[in-house]
Amino acid sequence: MHSQKLGWLLLSPTIVILGLFGIFPFIYVLWVSFHSWNPFAANPGMVFNWAENYRRLVFDPQFLASLGITLTFVFFAVVSELVLGYILAQALLKDFPGKAVFRTIHTLPLIMAPIIVGSVWKLMTTPSIGIIPYLLRSWFGYDLNIGQSAVAAFTVTVIMDIWHWTPLVTLSLIAALVSLPSDPFEQAQIDGAGKSQIFWHITLPLIRPALLATVFIRLMDALRTVDEVLMLTGGGPGSSTRYIGVHIFREVFPKTNYGYGSAISVIVLYLTIVVCWLLYVGLIAPRVKRG
Amino acid sequence: MNYALKASALALTLGLATTASPAWADFWSDAGAKFKGVTLHGVTESTPPSNYIRNVLAPEFEKKTGIKVDIETTSWDQMYDKAIKDMEAKTGIYDMVYIEQDIIYSYLARNFLVDITKTLKEQPDLKAPTYDDANFTSFADYFKDSSGDLFGVPMEAFLKAYLYRKDLFDDPKIKEAFKKETGKDLKPATTHAEYTEIADFFTKYGKDNGMELWGTTAQAHTGHPASWYEFFESIAPTFGVYNWGIDAKNNYAATVEHGGAMNGDKAKAALKYWLHLRDIAPPESTQSTWTETATTFAAGRVAQGLIYGENAAWIASDPAQSKVVGQVGFALPPLEPGVLDDAKAGKGYIGYYDGGAFGVPVTSKNKEASLLFLEFIGQNEVQPDWAIAAPRITNKATFDDPKVKEMDVKLGGFYTMLKDDGKLFAGAPPYPFHAQVREATAPIFYDILTGNIGPDEGLDQMAGKAEEELTSLGYRK
Repeated sequence: MHSQKLGWLLLSPTIVILGLFGIFPFIYVLWVSFHSWNPFAANPGMVFNWAENYRRLVFDPQFLASLGITLTFVFFAVVSELVLGYILAQALLKDFPGKAVFRTIHTLPLIMAPIIVGSVWKLMTTPSIGIIPYLLRSWFGYDLNIGQSAVAAFTVTVIMDIWHWTPLVTLSLIAALVSLPSDPFEQAQIDGAGKSQIFWHITLPLIRPALLATVFIRLMDALRTVDEVLMLTGGGPGSSTRYIGVHIFREVFPKTNYGYGSAISVIVLYLTIVVCWLLYVGLIAPRVKRG
Repeated sequence: MNYALKASALALTLGLATTASPAWADFWSDAGAKFKGVTLHGVTESTPPSNYIRNVLAPEFEKKTGIKVDIETTSWDQMYDKAIKDMEAKTGIYDMVYIEQDIIYSYLARNFLVDITKTLKEQPDLKAPTYDDANFTSFADYFKDSSGDLFGVPMEAFLKAYLYRKDLFDDPKIKEAFKKETGKDLKPATTHAEYTEIADFFTKYGKDNGMELWGTTAQAHTGHPASWYEFFESIAPTFGVYNWGIDAKNNYAATVEHGGAMNGDKAKAALKYWLHLRDIAPPESTQSTWTETATTFAAGRVAQGLIYGENAAWIASDPAQSKVVGQVGFALPPLEPGVLDDAKAGKGYIGYYDGGAFGVPVTSKNKEASLLFLEFIGQNEVQPDWAIAAPRITNKATFDDPKVKEMDVKLGGFYTMLKDDGKLFAGAPPYPFHAQVREATAPIFYDILTGNIGPDEGLDQMAGKAEEELTSLGYRK
């Protein structure tokens, strides 16, 4: 009983912080999402409008388009980061000259603020002064202009995200790989298993929990990407990189459409939970049950 | 005896000097005494005039009054976001906010701002002897309500002017080539047809001669509001489409069908003219905002362009940032027939008179001290050096200062244009729904820029969307 009380006492600061900065804002956003509220409308007050904002979402082509390109962006970015992160983690487990320097340089993007990343990439991709268009033109005769080509803009945002976040995946997987027991690998080698068999049947199942935790983190981050893309393309050209986070930003801040923007935010949160839950149910839960 | 006389004379002189000359300085120390220890917090966009306030005027004010001023300079988006949220939530974080000319009507509609005229009338002890509303240029009218009361002290004001490269326009070889190609003399354009002809010529000239030179700038970012503004504030008015083509007196009609002009023939012609310019402008134009067009011009990559005046000083006079120092000419934007007459008659305008002011939110916890600071930055005394550091003039007396006149020569007559022709330009229309209509129509505009929608069809959609948004906001019945 005493230890239970002490436990609650120790937890209380966390609960208070969580309540203030997590639960209360969420309830507030949920409440706002059931209202029509634009401070610069002829009637600037909040008007309860039932689920009108949610009904509107289903028929809003701009929201649906944003959602579609966001999911495409998330798929390409997260899958590439996992593959690249795993390869780099394996490489960094081995010794090679300059390993420490490489590891430091590789980790640097992680400490950069997203707005800075967006600014740097904008500078690097501006046609007249950017190093990337210059090199692409010199080497391949290709004129990169992310202000003109939707495909180029989308690709650059994916590459920027990979550059920024792959180190996180690498670090997580290094931690997972170094903690693996050596017995199963030695046994597999004795049994004559190939590298591919060892990867699919031993390494991957053993690092699955760490891998999925990383996927969850990246998935949640990628779904709410705003600042980097806003700085790089502004959501353009046209609406080709108007990812859902950028869409919400535009609705809520310049347009001050608080009610509708809140409804989109709630739906995006719901979708994030659903996707993570599906991944959990599909990949982790069956194993826990079998175990 | 002689010594005593000298000492008396000196004492008399010193006495007179201390009582006469710094009389206005005493006001600041007296007025500031009761606010000692107060720190004022302001938020503004990071521009040269704002940086001057933060770096020069705020420390000077603190020295004179003891009131500390903390000015936060940030991006345009962030500035709005922070100021609006603070005033909406009534948190009172900011004592002063930058009011851009296009947001003032939204703020007034929400009663966000302190009425400066009224407050100073009611509290004469706050009124500085060196401050007078009447000293401001006509630009201050944009910060007044219908009764003529001032709600913001103007701190930056500039025209979006037509800049051209004098070195290229005066080059005998180029003049001859232009004459040969067009049969005309090369001189700054006064019509759209002339501007297009010159732009086409220089783009071709640059290409033929292997030069990094194009005929025009284009603020044509495909995902940033800057392109929307270039069209509606700088291009459309020169074709006779004013106030974004929305008729406030006609139930905020935007479509031609309902009496608006957003998708009228003039607007469609204006858009096609501008899209052609975009196509022959430097490749970075599709990513250019208000700053990047200036950078492009300063890098010597274009022969002419419409450039925000806030960049005029460094383009024309700072060799560390500009390759065209001493070579910049200023002119009025090219126009369609009848537009200049409209502007002179007060029925229209020929371009954008941009700028902003500092206002005090009603939610500020230090309104009186903030008003003192606003008066301080609004005095004639601080204006000349400010106008030198950043090309802005908001007080009439500034034009006659010798230092400013000297700068005007360096700037190729930009200040003279501001003084003589400022009245032909106009700020944003007095709409309280500024950002809302822009954001509602901008995605369609960006699709026009990428070619996903044709200009005619796109403008039809935009006009319809503007009316839909205005109906949803409750302005259009």
